[in-house]
Amino acid sequence: MSELAVRVSQVAKTYYRDQTPVPVLEHIDLTVPTGEFLALMGPSGSGKSTLLNLIAGIDRPTAGTIEVAGQSLAGLSERALAAFRSRHIGFIFQLYNLIPVLSASENVELPLLLTHLSRAERAQHVRAALDIVGLADRSDHLPRQLSGGQEQRVAIARAIVTDPTLLLADEPTGDLDKKNEEEVLVLLQRLNREFKKTIVMVTHDPKAAACAGRTVQLEKGALAVAPVAAG
Amino acid sequence: MNFLRLLLRNALRGRLRTFLTVCGSAFLMFVLVFMLTALSEMDAWQGTAATHLRIAVQHGTGLANSLPITLEPFLRGETIAPHGYCICKLNWFGGIYLDPHNFFARFATDHLAWRELFDEFAISQAHYDAWCAQKDSCVVGAALAAKYHWSIGQRVTVLGDIYPIDVTTEIVGIFNGPTPRDEEVLYFRWDYFDELLGGRKLVGTYWLKARTPEDIPKLKELIDAHTRNSPDPTETMTENEFGQQFMEMMGNVKGLVMNLGGVLLVIMVLMTANTVAMSARERVVEVAVLRTLGFRRIHVLGLFLGEAVLVSLAGAVLSLGISYVLFNVLRLSPAPEYFPYFLVERSTMVLALAASVGCGLASAAIPALRSARRPIVDGLRQII
Repeated sequence: MSELAVRVSQVAKTYYRDQTPVPVLEHIDLTVPTGEFLALMGPSGSGKSTLLNLIAGIDRPTAGTIEVAGQSLAGLSERALAAFRSRHIGFIFQLYNLIPVLSASENVELPLLLTHLSRAERAQHVRAALDIVGLADRSDHLPRQLSGGQEQRVAIARAIVTDPTLLLADEPTGDLDKKNEEEVLVLLQRLNREFKKTIVMVTHDPKAAACAGRTVQLEKGALAVAPVAAG
Repeated sequence: MNFLRLLLRNALRGRLRTFLTVCGSAFLMFVLVFMLTALSEMDAWQGTAATHLRIAVQHGTGLANSLPITLEPFLRGETIAPHGYCICKLNWFGGIYLDPHNFFARFATDHLAWRELFDEFAISQAHYDAWCAQKDSCVVGAALAAKYHWSIGQRVTVLGDIYPIDVTTEIVGIFNGPTPRDEEVLYFRWDYFDELLGGRKLVGTYWLKARTPEDIPKLKELIDAHTRNSPDPTETMTENEFGQQFMEMMGNVKGLVMNLGGVLLVIMVLMTANTVAMSARERVVEVAVLRTLGFRRIHVLGLFLGEAVLVSLAGAVLSLGISYVLFNVLRLSPAPEYFPYFLVERSTMVLALAASVGCGLASAAIPALRSARRPIVDGLRQII
């Protein structure tokens, strides 16, 4: 595995509103070593989520290059990008985004449908992921039968079940109460320390950012002059 | 879990909506199956007719007028013999058996030629000999005998409506045909019929068999040329052509049915498309999430198309099940006087299933494509 999990070089992203260009990111250079827990902070509209989406390969930069696990995303076809996401990316959304008609274990199993694992192997992986997030006893519950914190933990289990190279979390505690927020942050820290997962987390909450090993500030589409080391 | 389970879960997420769509599809498909069955029943007896090389001779002005008995010597003579044989009179008697709704075919015929002319029928020698031996007797198809619980020795009276006579005959024989439809007939003797009419020698149609397929046009030419300048010109035709003239009497029913069938399919497509479009709109974020997880566009397409086909097929299976029970098991017919049998053919079932798959695919194509093509980030930003 490459020592750098993520390398972002001179990345820019411009959206177009009607014919008017709206630059969101400009000249971004960022590296994330393997095993790091990085917090991306910044005010609303600073481009945090856009940068996360670019690293996840669900959006394409207007300029610059992005490498994840030594693989450049530039020039990858839609199909290859999908395969890349399936293999390397675990994504955690702010609003959990579980499929409401599937149980917790079925939600976690979803990414495994794209692998060649047998049914028994998939079940084993799902059990292990739910064990890690402490929800093995809730595997048959539908999302509506879970609390917000539990839903987010199921979403984290879904993100880690394929053992991805990189975990990307877009404001994972943004919709949680204080208690659940702490539980999720502790879980992310555990994934980083105990399971050596590389994590990039977008947040605007300094307390959440404090859980990360390093914090990077984004302002008006550009990185702040010096990355801030977290306490 | 697998993709099929995912399809099922998605299809059942709006249970009332799915239920209503399935019911709507089932209703439309039932009407379509009904119309296709009516068409197949119309075509049913014509389908096998061509293999028997039977030729019909009717009055040139139509079936309402009788042929002169003087035509018979010509048909049996040396001009026709090299090309045709088995000359047989056949009069459609019509009439009423107990109730006008008890409809089945009743013919007066030449019993001596009948067996050879309709060689697809199986009748025991003893039954046939009994028919030949007794002038006021008849033979009936096995399905007809079973329908009215008739047995050998029973006397049956048919009140005349076309002819001013009532016919009472004794059942002496029961025959089997290739299909139950062919067995919905009662044949009694033409000589008995003529005797009841006082010897008026009224011949509805003459039938004969061509020796080879090549003899058919020759027979048509010879017979019609012989009568062309007589007071009773003839029109000679194959059994298929004879049947088609009844279809033509009903106008372009087939064309009308096909057009209506097309309209029904379009309605089905629009109805299912509406359901799929609503479902797709509600699942914009979910689709974006699936694609973030690594699902490809083809997977999204497959999920939506599969779901629509599943709903459409459920409607078709429901309608076919109801049709099968009503028509094939309970043997109900919407119009027994026209369709003594109204059986849903296997080909109709296959066609209905194929049409439902087609409808499902057509209805989901646009919503599925739009869902699959929507950029992931746009989907994740969507707020319903």
